[in-house]
Amino acid sequence: MMHSRRAATALVATLILTTTAACAAGPAASTTPAGSASEASSAATYGKALTVWVMGDSATKFEQLIAPFETQSGIDVTVEAIPWDSVNDRLTSAVASGKGPDVTQIGLSQLASFLKGDALADVSADLAAYPNLAESNFPSAVASTALNPSGGVYSVPWIADTRVLFYRSDLLSAAGIAAPPKTWDELRADAKKLTDKAAKHYGYYIPQWDAPLPVTYTWQAGGEIMADGKIDVTSDAFTKAADHYLGLYADGSVPTASDFDQTTGFISGSVAMLVSGPYLAKAVAEQAPELDGKWSVATVPTDVSGTSLYAGSNLGVWKNTTNKVGALMLLNYLADPATQVAWYTSNGDLPAATKAYQDAKLSADPLVQVYAEQLKDARLLPVSTKWDAASSEILNALNKIAVSGADKGATLKALADKVATINAGN
Amino acid sequence: MQSSPAPGGLAASDRRPLPRRPVARAASHRRPTSRWAGWGFALPALALVAVFGLMPILVAAGVSFTDLDIAGLAHPETIRLVGAANYVQLAGDPEFWAAFALTAGYVVVGVPLIAVLALAVATGLNRSDGRFFRLLRTLYFLPAVTALVAISVIWKYMFNGQFGLFNWLLDLVGLPAVNWLSDPASAQIAVGLVAVWRAIGLNSIILLAALQGVPGEQLEAAALDGAGPVRRYLYVVLPQIRFALGFVVMTTLIGWLQFFDEPFVLTDGGPVGATTSLSLFLFKRGFRLNEFGYASAGSIVLLVTIAAVTLIQLRLRKAHD
Amino acid sequence: MTKTQSRRKARERVATVLIAVPLTVGALVCALPFVWMVANSVKTRSEAVSYPPQLLPSQWTFAAYTKLFTELDFLHYMLNTVALVGIGLVGLLLTAMAGYGFAKFPGRALGWGFFAVLMTMMIPAQVTMIPTYLVVNAAGLTNNLVGIALPTLVSAFGVFLFRQFMITIPDSLLEAARIDGASELRIFFAIALPVSRPILIVQGLLTVIASWNSFLWPLILSSSQRTYTLSVGLSLLNKQITTDPTVQMAGAALMTLPIIVLFFLAQRHIVAGFTMSGIK
Repeated sequence: MMHSRRAATALVATLILTTTAACAAGPAASTTPAGSASEASSAATYGKALTVWVMGDSATKFEQLIAPFETQSGIDVTVEAIPWDSVNDRLTSAVASGKGPDVTQIGLSQLASFLKGDALADVSADLAAYPNLAESNFPSAVASTALNPSGGVYSVPWIADTRVLFYRSDLLSAAGIAAPPKTWDELRADAKKLTDKAAKHYGYYIPQWDAPLPVTYTWQAGGEIMADGKIDVTSDAFTKAADHYLGLYADGSVPTASDFDQTTGFISGSVAMLVSGPYLAKAVAEQAPELDGKWSVATVPTDVSGTSLYAGSNLGVWKNTTNKVGALMLLNYLADPATQVAWYTSNGDLPAATKAYQDAKLSADPLVQVYAEQLKDARLLPVSTKWDAASSEILNALNKIAVSGADKGATLKALADKVATINAGN
Repeated sequence: MQSSPAPGGLAASDRRPLPRRPVARAASHRRPTSRWAGWGFALPALALVAVFGLMPILVAAGVSFTDLDIAGLAHPETIRLVGAANYVQLAGDPEFWAAFALTAGYVVVGVPLIAVLALAVATGLNRSDGRFFRLLRTLYFLPAVTALVAISVIWKYMFNGQFGLFNWLLDLVGLPAVNWLSDPASAQIAVGLVAVWRAIGLNSIILLAALQGVPGEQLEAAALDGAGPVRRYLYVVLPQIRFALGFVVMTTLIGWLQFFDEPFVLTDGGPVGATTSLSLFLFKRGFRLNEFGYASAGSIVLLVTIAAVTLIQLRLRKAHD
Repeated sequence: MTKTQSRRKARERVATVLIAVPLTVGALVCALPFVWMVANSVKTRSEAVSYPPQLLPSQWTFAAYTKLFTELDFLHYMLNTVALVGIGLVGLLLTAMAGYGFAKFPGRALGWGFFAVLMTMMIPAQVTMIPTYLVVNAAGLTNNLVGIALPTLVSAFGVFLFRQFMITIPDSLLEAARIDGASELRIFFAIALPVSRPILIVQGLLTVIASWNSFLWPLILSSSQRTYTLSVGLSLLNKQITTDPTVQMAGAALMTLPIIVLFFLAQRHIVAGFTMSGIK
């Protein structure tokens, strides 16, 4: 029968195509094969394979970074790239099935979920054998008490990130401001001076998605956002921070568009100052090399203190790993200051290991000097799923008041109530 | 839906007679085989749907009565049954109701709008079969086939307050710039606009096909009777494409009650929750924070709503037929 | 041609032009984002975000495309995606069969089965994520393209379409074939499928598009990039905060263009097919 035969042929063709393609999509490319058997004597004490989860945009470079480790140890490391936006989905599937990698990169904003999901292994007992992983190698911001609120050691620092004040030195001097603001009051005054609404120029930019910002303001005001495991939005420090945040808007110094792009804004001069991270410096250098010399960074303006954000990623060993020793060896390698410098050179991420900053490549860069300075006075956001729930509520409340003109007292009261509910939950 | 003979539906080659075999079967033989055959045909798909479609719904229903979160996933022994607590929490959450209302609003405005626009476009495209019109057809279909990521980046650029195309156009004609995605009201319109734009493609192609199937003789007869083009359209064409129209409305309705993609990629539910649809609310509140019990409860509420609306629509149509 | 005839023809042509104008404007609105996408993919980074926005690049560069192939395992992902499309077409056959079963063998239980199928369209994918993962994992099919295709292999939408279409196939035709002694399967392949050609093409197109764009299941059910698709691969390029718009656009363009070409070639068949036996 003409048509059934045609259908059958089509079906067979589809199956052949499918199978061929599936076979062609064969074994993974990339990783360098395991090195020689020179280290074979100690091979018996650890497994020969590791899987590492690395965030998507840096996976290829990561493979190059660990090539020497693979040769040295004889371990074959498979690097799996995970898209940033999908970390939570992969985490929950892995927790549900028990199938995960051996080592995983953990963005600090994700750490609370990893801990709650009991996905990581407690390595506190094993650290002694790995000198690079000692707590003293890293800034106090990532002391194990900060990273592991319930005790134990479930992750080690990998890369650092922070927030500093970016400013257009040319626009500042044109407005008669000799140096970037050092205090909150100076910031508000300078921002006002630099604002020219008619020309659509603003003195300061506050990203409406920037959840850490109100928290850093709270720290700068000398207070805490989380005390005794509970989020606190009623403290004097938080109130002062909120007033600072809202005051900048009230002065008219801050653009109210939610889709304002900070890179374009900074380059075009629409905004003269903002708090941002090294990624902005990279973007500006790449997109507007002609701006060189017309902008710089400084540590954030202080109130009671000048504490900024410590962000970045850690590395953790998966709980069900079958190669714990190999995993720890890898972590040790990655925490080595030399490796950290190599990673900085390759991918631009700031090292977590403090010794790395002594390397010429970092100490000679004036921007890095400012970052390093800021990292000395920087803190982690609370590692708690309560914080994850509360952070968007706080942002929403502040934006409602600043951008949508909601009543300040009522909105903040509603926020306090909502935070109380979050605190009461598990 | 009556089974009417499908005119000219078979190609000439299909009419080749099947090889004849001696007929010795009793008529009653056919009934039992029919029923089993039906199940046989439907079974593979049904099995897949049962496993990957229905089973998760049952699981979600079950989970909605627990306090499952990521800790519970890791340690199932710690999961507790909480009865209707999740549902109670939902009912008392003003943001849930806001999201519900917003979704309802989008459906009430958007679905008829899409139906009308798709019909208008289909009617226009039906005007001619020439090469130019065929090119237009492809252009209208473009939004339906693109990956969401491309759509989101492009529209976000166009709506951008600083360097967006639309504000630039407004500037050209001397109008003030609009903060499309930053102002709650305009954000709702902007997001709806993109969603409608996206939906027109597939629906207009379906309606175009239906329009082309309207028998010419009926139109001729009506014209001879003195009916003008508008009357011919209203009283001959529209009834003929009743099914396709109903189909478009039903699938768009189901899709829009689950409105998620556009607000997610364009505004992430903002500004300040102005474009948070029900699905997006569930995603942010439940899934992003790994509160699976709460999210499942919300999903069941959504499911029941959609099922109810669909049943009503099916009943109405059956009554109409 | 008589005067009235030629006048009528002229009026028709004017009417066609009058209709074509707003239609074309609308079509351009639909096309603009694509033109923009392709144009942006060949711009330099700074031009891509410049204000006022330029439609066409002043400097052409294919750097974004090269980046796609060097920084991403693009070819590999493309092969995976093509494989998924193939598997999806097998699923299309199963879908057609189910539509046929529901249409031609009515029964109370089957009616409920049909509504159950419809219900699966009404639940957000996130809800199904973990139970589905556990099932596929239990079957040992994770990290496997067939396993990845399973959750979306059969489309409820498709079953619905096929059912509605196949209901219009005259029972007499099928009865005649049965009397002639053809088996049910043969009847399906010989009569039902060919008659459903228009729907097959439409659903085929939709299946191809959906499989081509598949994101969630390849992401969740893969435990390595080995089975990532184009969509997932593209999202790897999204950095935590800033993303290179030219590379994003290049990736999106590479993903969209094949589908558009496919549609342009297939659309003649879709609408032409419908003229033979419309969905009434």
